[in-house]
Amino acid sequence: MHNPYQPEPAKIVSISRQTSSVKLFRFEFTQNIPDWKFSYQPGQFVELSLPGFGEAPFAPCGGIKEKYIELCVRNVGKLTARLHAMKAGDKVAVRGPYGNGAWPTGKYDFKVQKNLFIAVGGLGLAPLRSLLLGKNYFLGKDTKVQIFYGARDPQEMLFRHEYENWKKLKIKMELTIDKEHAGWKGHIGLVTTLFDKCDVLQNSVAFLVGPPVMYKPVLERLKKLGFADEDIYLSLERRMHCAVGACQHCAVGSYYTCKDGPVFSWAQIKNIPDAI
Amino acid sequence: MSAHMPSAVKKTGQILIKGISNPDELNLDGQLPFYSFKRFFVPEKEGLFDYQNNKLRDKKSVYPERSQRALVGMNILDMKAVNLYDQVFEKDPYYQARRRNILIVGYSLTPEIENNIFEHKYEEDILEHLPFDIFLADYNAPSSRELRNSPPLKLRGGSGGLYKVFTGSIKGQRILEHFGYKDYEHIQFSGPIKEGEADKRMERLRDRLKNHHNPKIWEELGKFCIECGKCTLVCPTCFCFRIDDLPSLENNAGERSRCWDSCYYQEFSEIGGGHKFLNSTARRLHFWYFHKFARIPDEFNFAGCVGCRRCAAVCPVGIDIFKVLKDIENF
Repeated sequence: MHNPYQPEPAKIVSISRQTSSVKLFRFEFTQNIPDWKFSYQPGQFVELSLPGFGEAPFAPCGGIKEKYIELCVRNVGKLTARLHAMKAGDKVAVRGPYGNGAWPTGKYDFKVQKNLFIAVGGLGLAPLRSLLLGKNYFLGKDTKVQIFYGARDPQEMLFRHEYENWKKLKIKMELTIDKEHAGWKGHIGLVTTLFDKCDVLQNSVAFLVGPPVMYKPVLERLKKLGFADEDIYLSLERRMHCAVGACQHCAVGSYYTCKDGPVFSWAQIKNIPDAI
Repeated sequence: MSAHMPSAVKKTGQILIKGISNPDELNLDGQLPFYSFKRFFVPEKEGLFDYQNNKLRDKKSVYPERSQRALVGMNILDMKAVNLYDQVFEKDPYYQARRRNILIVGYSLTPEIENNIFEHKYEEDILEHLPFDIFLADYNAPSSRELRNSPPLKLRGGSGGLYKVFTGSIKGQRILEHFGYKDYEHIQFSGPIKEGEADKRMERLRDRLKNHHNPKIWEELGKFCIECGKCTLVCPTCFCFRIDDLPSLENNAGERSRCWDSCYYQEFSEIGGGHKFLNSTARRLHFWYFHKFARIPDEFNFAGCVGCRRCAAVCPVGIDIFKVLKDIENF
């Protein structure tokens, strides 16, 4: 019988530093894995497995057509500290992808009818990068994308050397940092302050990824701007063990973040106490 | 091969599930054992893989290592819980390997009504919704306790004719035929729920929990609950688990195992960085009740509580699920 807990062996092929505590890891499977067994949509996640240190869920953030998987990982715990101490060539294992809730790019006619507005904080940019890198494929060449991105300081901004490239794809970044910082001439304040300073793209669908504290104030702003609950999508974060909807750790109301999410529409979860 | 059954009442007042070494000791009095039969289906801890350096290896065998087990005298409440495990672990190879080696010999008497919150009782027409291989229906219930001194098992058509015998699987039929017993009726399992008949109480509780959230109930209970997790241990429908890598004494080796968890434990919802989504006793209590009375009904269309009331029996601060359900319904 197929074992859903069996990860596939993989190795680190390269590592690059993103911020003081975040590194971008690139992995490749060490054996050939057929597409039906492993291919993911932006918004899904994988379980990274380091024998002896356990498993943890991460959203792949590289291009979905690449033969490698990229994970952007902050050093916060036992497993991630171990990963940060590893070098290219070291062995890991990966299982997944998981989650039926990917970003709903197929649900809208982005070319003609809708633009995409994204509000994101800190590490939240990682699960969106796959979508942004494949923007022409997922959303169409002419679709406008606007991103409100907040980070603690300029050095904490992920993928900051890629924003110029993204601009060419009609992705407009509005950046803010929490507190004044030497050399920073942009906006200052939480992501919500950007709503006062920039006009939100008209006629948009909204994708939100951020630390849990970001959701309530951003939702308030979006509702004020007239976004329908069905057109607001959030990626939820929860503790996960099994990733297949059995262990109960990631339950939100009657949903499992691992199986039914991690991306939910606000309409789906707005009546669930403590969902955000 | 081994067989297990509920014991007679121990000096401690408990009925435990014990191995059967001598068939003459067979005890069928329909009392609810202190622990449910859960651990035979979902063991408290089981290895998923062994690891050495960076490699995971399959375990040589599925826990428990003895291959075949018979559970004799299982009451209908604990059998209902098996319906839940069968659904939750449908795609779990460890569970399935164990499950196909378990023989369930069910027994009809249920605990007295006051211990059984949904007043489940044995009727022949519930059998098609219960998972079993062989079922012994006791039609002399009131006097059954006197049977302890008589030969243990008298089947209909046998010398005493006390039990009506059913089979619920091909395996059950084979076993009876093997012993030359033919006077049984076969019941075809038709799924865990009666068709077209949603349980009204379940519907009401689910509606209250999903559409009329009342934080007061949980805040009030949260003042008493000490989060010991005993209720989750004895509950036949609590199956949540965590997966951990446990090192052995060898270098760079150990086991990836899963073990029972409890949503009352602080770190149950903790994520990297330390944030806890269930950050109060009240929230954790609510999570437990919501799982049983809203999430499981949404997933499988049956209630996630069999009504055994074991949780109330072990609660050190006297939280009684029977009363909590009344509160959910009435506020």
